[in-house]
Amino acid sequence: DGKPDRFQPPPKPVIIDKLKQIEERRFLSPEFIPPRGRTDPLKFYIERKDMIQRRKVFNIPEFYVGSILAVTTADPCANDKANRFVGICIQRGGKGLGATFVLRNVIENQGVEICYELYNPRIQAIEVLKLEKRLDDNLMYLRDALPEYSTFDVNMKPVTRLDSEVPVNKLQVRMKPKPWSKRWERPKYNIKGIKFELPEKKMREAQKWSQPWLEFDMLREYDTSKIEEKIWKEVSEALKK
Amino acid sequence: MMPIWTKSGKKHAVTLLKVQDCHVLKYVSKEESGGKTSKLLVGGKNSSPFYKSESTMEIFKEAGVPRKQKVTTFNVTDDAIIKPGTPLYAAHFRPGQFVDVTAKTIGKGFQGVMKRWGFKGQPASHGQTKTHRRPGAISTNKAAKVYRGKKMPGRMGNVYRTSLGLKVWRINTVHNIIYVNGSVPGHTNCLVKVRDSKLPTYKDCNKNPPFPTFFADGDEKLPEDLYDEEIFQFTDPSVTY
Repeated sequence: DGKPDRFQPPPKPVIIDKLKQIEERRFLSPEFIPPRGRTDPLKFYIERKDMIQRRKVFNIPEFYVGSILAVTTADPCANDKANRFVGICIQRGGKGLGATFVLRNVIENQGVEICYELYNPRIQAIEVLKLEKRLDDNLMYLRDALPEYSTFDVNMKPVTRLDSEVPVNKLQVRMKPKPWSKRWERPKYNIKGIKFELPEKKMREAQKWSQPWLEFDMLREYDTSKIEEKIWKEVSEALKK
Repeated sequence: MMPIWTKSGKKHAVTLLKVQDCHVLKYVSKEESGGKTSKLLVGGKNSSPFYKSESTMEIFKEAGVPRKQKVTTFNVTDDAIIKPGTPLYAAHFRPGQFVDVTAKTIGKGFQGVMKRWGFKGQPASHGQTKTHRRPGAISTNKAAKVYRGKKMPGRMGNVYRTSLGLKVWRINTVHNIIYVNGSVPGHTNCLVKVRDSKLPTYKDCNKNPPFPTFFADGDEKLPEDLYDEEIFQFTDPSVTY
């Protein structure tokens, strides 16, 4: 043609960053979800602001019950003024700033459990040595399991994983002979991670304490999906700034 | 209630109190009230004007203020008189100050002598016939009567009680929240009266508070959060020794 057409720029190439795709997985720490009650939501909002502020200064990594962590705390009585403890996380409790997690390890044939507060300013570092989930939310039964299931090397190196999904360890733990600290075979604890070697009769007797109507109780339902969405948006936007 | 950490790493529990729409309602002079000092009537949370008679609404009309759910009196010296209709904010208090908090305790209903007065009761076994939580003897033989004020079962709670000498750790000027050390009488979201402490140990503890009160339209521009000197702020790095 005589007149030149307006310059059409070539189509922009679409770059799919595989690293960014992995980070898209959402994880909201359970202590952000407010418990059901009559407290003013303003209180949770203010507590969340403080928690986000702490997370900006100090990195609290993603971890689940069953992952192996190493925590260094400041201690005035220790040699280097710092104390390092390695253990498996058996329980995550508390909501808001008072959230805690319990680490368990067996050191020199003595079982040791330490309860740390996530937002305590004395904690210098939290490293996840092995990130994995287990079949249960609460691993308190490791106290009555054989000690080999609670021993972890204090000088363990962090294990790197490449896949984005958190692996679920379907380990079935073998227990010491009864008596246990709690009757773990009873259905109220709903434990899937123990290999019960009890006779059939004991297992059937334990089922007597089952409460099958509990799963149909509508007043006990607490649907957190919408609350989680809102809080996840708020927290991720605040942390990106 | 929330945890709070000091710079030395110690944890304290803290109650959050929100200052919601507080206005000065009326000034009562010393001669009118018949007391030793003049009084100021202060009203709390806003509520509907339709459920009260015209005579009770007069005080609110004169001050030009919506109807308040709670009205309290404060004994004030003559140099601290405030014009009726001025709003009161949380910045009236400063961190490091000591405060008395009054509120109605949680109502427990008709309670027995063990819960109400802390009696020991009787043993559970070893031959006790139908007597485990009873008061036992109520008087002596010589007295031949029961004294007035004898501790007996009755209605417990729903009474005004004061927690004395509570330290103010932090003040949020945007949401008007006071962080007060320890626990406070009353249930969550109940109305509470906060006053400068009358304890003799804290008589000279007021570190330049705003006098007579904090005026929002004045020249002073406060930051969003006012902290006490010893508090660990989450913007700082972790505590070391």
